[in-house]
Amino acid sequence: MHSNLFWLIPAASLLSLGYAFWFFKRMVACDEGTPLMREIAQHVREGAMAYLKQQYKVVAIVFAIMTLIFVWLAYGLHLQNKWVPFAFLTGGLFSGLAGFFGMKTATYASARVAHAANQSLDAGLRLAFRSGAVMGLVVVGLALLDISIWFLVLNKFVTAASEAQRLMVITTTMLTFGMGASLQALFARVGGGIFTKAADVGADLVGKVEAGIPEDDPRNPATIADNVGDNVGDVAGMGADLYESYVGSILATAALGAAAFTQAGQNENAFKAILAPMVVAAIGTMLSIIGIFAVHVKKGASQKDLLNALGRGVNLSSLLIFVASFFILKAFDLPNYTGIWGAIVVGLLTGIVIGKATEYFTSQEYKPTKDIAESAATGPATVIISGLGTGMLSTVVPVTAVVVGTTFAYCLAAGDWHFSPDSIGMGLYGIGIAAVGMLSTLGITLATDAYGPIADNAGGNAEMAGLPPEVRRRTDALDSLGNTTAATGKGFAIGSAALTALALLASYVEELKMAMMHAGQTTMEVASVQVPIISATLTQFMTHFEVHLLNPKVILGVFIGSMMSFVFCGLTINAVGRAAQSMVEEVRRQFKEKPGILRGEDKPDYARCVAISTLGAQREMILPSMLAVLVPIGVGLIFGVPGVFGLLSGGLATGFVLAVFMANSGGAWDNAKKYVEEGHLGGKGSAAHKATVIGDTIGDPFKDTAGPSLNILIKLMSMVSIVTAGVNIAFTLF
Amino acid sequence: MTIHLYLSLIPEALVASHLPPEEYGAYLSLGPKKRSHGQAIFFKLADSYAQKKLEEFPGIAELRDGRLRRSAYLGIHKILEQTPLDALETLHLTTNDGHVLTLHPGEYIPDPGPRYHLYQEFCPVTPRVASTLEPREFAATITDTSKPVSLPAVAFAELTLDRLGDDPEANGVDNLPYRSIEHLRDCLRELRAKQTKSTKLVVRYLEQDVLFRTILGGFYVGSQGGAFRFFPMPSRDELETTHYAWWRSALRSTGL
Repeated sequence: MHSNLFWLIPAASLLSLGYAFWFFKRMVACDEGTPLMREIAQHVREGAMAYLKQQYKVVAIVFAIMTLIFVWLAYGLHLQNKWVPFAFLTGGLFSGLAGFFGMKTATYASARVAHAANQSLDAGLRLAFRSGAVMGLVVVGLALLDISIWFLVLNKFVTAASEAQRLMVITTTMLTFGMGASLQALFARVGGGIFTKAADVGADLVGKVEAGIPEDDPRNPATIADNVGDNVGDVAGMGADLYESYVGSILATAALGAAAFTQAGQNENAFKAILAPMVVAAIGTMLSIIGIFAVHVKKGASQKDLLNALGRGVNLSSLLIFVASFFILKAFDLPNYTGIWGAIVVGLLTGIVIGKATEYFTSQEYKPTKDIAESAATGPATVIISGLGTGMLSTVVPVTAVVVGTTFAYCLAAGDWHFSPDSIGMGLYGIGIAAVGMLSTLGITLATDAYGPIADNAGGNAEMAGLPPEVRRRTDALDSLGNTTAATGKGFAIGSAALTALALLASYVEELKMAMMHAGQTTMEVASVQVPIISATLTQFMTHFEVHLLNPKVILGVFIGSMMSFVFCGLTINAVGRAAQSMVEEVRRQFKEKPGILRGEDKPDYARCVAISTLGAQREMILPSMLAVLVPIGVGLIFGVPGVFGLLSGGLATGFVLAVFMANSGGAWDNAKKYVEEGHLGGKGSAAHKATVIGDTIGDPFKDTAGPSLNILIKLMSMVSIVTAGVNIAFTLF
Repeated sequence: MTIHLYLSLIPEALVASHLPPEEYGAYLSLGPKKRSHGQAIFFKLADSYAQKKLEEFPGIAELRDGRLRRSAYLGIHKILEQTPLDALETLHLTTNDGHVLTLHPGEYIPDPGPRYHLYQEFCPVTPRVASTLEPREFAATITDTSKPVSLPAVAFAELTLDRLGDDPEANGVDNLPYRSIEHLRDCLRELRAKQTKSTKLVVRYLEQDVLFRTILGGFYVGSQGGAFRFFPMPSRDELETTHYAWWRSALRSTGL
């Protein structure tokens, strides 16, 4: 009966992909509006696809090299499972496909949403949201498809000495396809983040230091690149990021579940524990579709009604999964299933708390952002100081939520409130399944994220095409709502990344176990006693590898991990500065060579600006991305397993807090500017406005490049360590 | 090729050009190669007046030859006072990215309106003045030769005071982009306290671009002898529909 439940996973995948296709077809069938609207949309589409093509070329080269290395490690040195190179490739391929489909939809939707807003606000909202839902459903659909295929293949072909070992091999092998997704996500996030902010800051600077042309004026050669950037950064980047969190959390939980129960000799329960997170995710996907249909507003809706409409969809899905997950776990009849269900609920609640905290610290409706705006009365310096301070303070709630959530998830699943060593396995399973709970309704939460850039582009299209004021007011309302959901989405992405990375950290031990057995070891020494590896507990592994805080190798790893977060941010922020400078130079060149652009007599070369941003992003993303791959390998080779544990812990702790700080500072600066533009503190054009514009420009790479990229850094370093666990076992300098 | 004559208000100048007003405004704002940018406010003078006036400048042969010339400065001093107000054909407001809005003269009907007014003078001097006088009275006072200090002619616009226009103590004036609202309140309080005082200097000279969104009513020109012209601003609704490109550009200008 339980293995029959597996079929819910491919069914949910196909249902999700089917609805995504249906939403896409219905969106494409809508009218794209006037010839000018079509032309603008076409420029954005071409630019976005040109960017993706170039990015995939670079990524393909990196993937080819990495695959060859994995083939050599697996088939040459026999340090790795032989499935790893293929799993790595499919993870990258599916993640790339999710980004491609999401972005294609978003770029087709913008003009249509602007045109739909001509009819009514509801028509605009529905079309924008359902176009965003394509991204959400494609991400979860492809993830579940990839998981289903690999589970079927491995379940069919993997053989091992015992059933326990077989389950361990299946789950740990599946986990490795997360690295392909992680690497693809890093390129999408870093490259997309650099592109979008280089274009945005570049287009904006044109207005400030060049001809005074607004960033979305059709005469501004960088304006299309700016619109393309919204898609490659916020749609493709966010999609790849959450695809990777989604897959990572499900597979890490499956691996932890297998470990927890096989150690106790409960193979049947181990199988159920593997399937449970997958089925929860599958049901969550189906419930997300129900939530998507609940999003609509009545004629004459206000901004609050719009927000309530999106909230209704997300809340409905969350409520349904809250109930459904209980029955799923009851059907699996896992030991302490109520406790495991409690962990799922904790995950859902943690996600909500982080989202609300993000909204509180970044929305102009609340005090922190208003305070930043008010500090503009004394100039840009105080805006910057105030934004930095607010961003730092904003880390309290998300970090506390993760700490409390992790504690409850661990203890509820373990059925033990004393953190006793015997229940570590179940406790870690609880943490993993809490992350699954948080991400179970990703289909709809990602739809609300992807909705943001679609509405933003629709607004840009309406402005550039000079649509009537009523339409622009509607697209403004949709855009404003998108800003709120985008900020909340970023908080959600960071929170889920933290929980997923915690689960991955625990899964690393399982990979070490498999690597040792793969190397032919059957026992290991723990406190002068030989212990069978297959039944060794996590505590015994920690003892064997001397993973404790008095081991300098752990501490050194922690330092390196912390430093990595800052180095990564520094590289990506500086990359934005350099790429934006190239953009300004290109705009200057175009103005100089074609003075008619400013008079509206000549057309700017939009494609050239897109190419400049693309090349800048591709060039600049290589170093930070490669660092994220090479540093865990290097630390493993030098300091071994204790060093890697230190690295991952330091990277996770610092990266998580830094990501929250950067996302919230940037979001608060952005909305402080909007608060002034709404007519406070002197309104547009006032000295306070100028001060907040400077804060917003500084915050741009914080919130859209460095901050979101950190999510992936912390997960990718764990994934690299997991995949190269065999190398850590075989070669270590110290 | 027609030669147009323009009276620029910031800075005061008389300029001849082959460019029609929209192109001349864009040229003033953006320069020939975008290197400069900035706001411009200028009158187009009537062609009949221009023809006569140009005869006083025999040195501009190249313009007469029809060779394209974007701007030929004919004077930069006492231009407004020497120009009959009837010759002011249209007023052109140019944003700092080259969008031009054309204002046509309209009939001036005094508005009982707010108790206090805020005027930004553009030419020949550029103070910002709070006053209890409505625009025509203000122009008459400024150009009244019986006063110790007067101007031969003045071009100015009324700026919004929101609720301060009725009550210097009013709250909810967050959308006024002026520096030091408290100083502005003090000036209005002084007008309230001294019934005999009808004007009070708020700012000595124009420090930065005028934010077009603050213009209330329109632009005014008065000269000695009681001549008076009014160039009304379009309504907010008209700006958002008919002149949207200009309005959007005007709203986005931060002067950075």
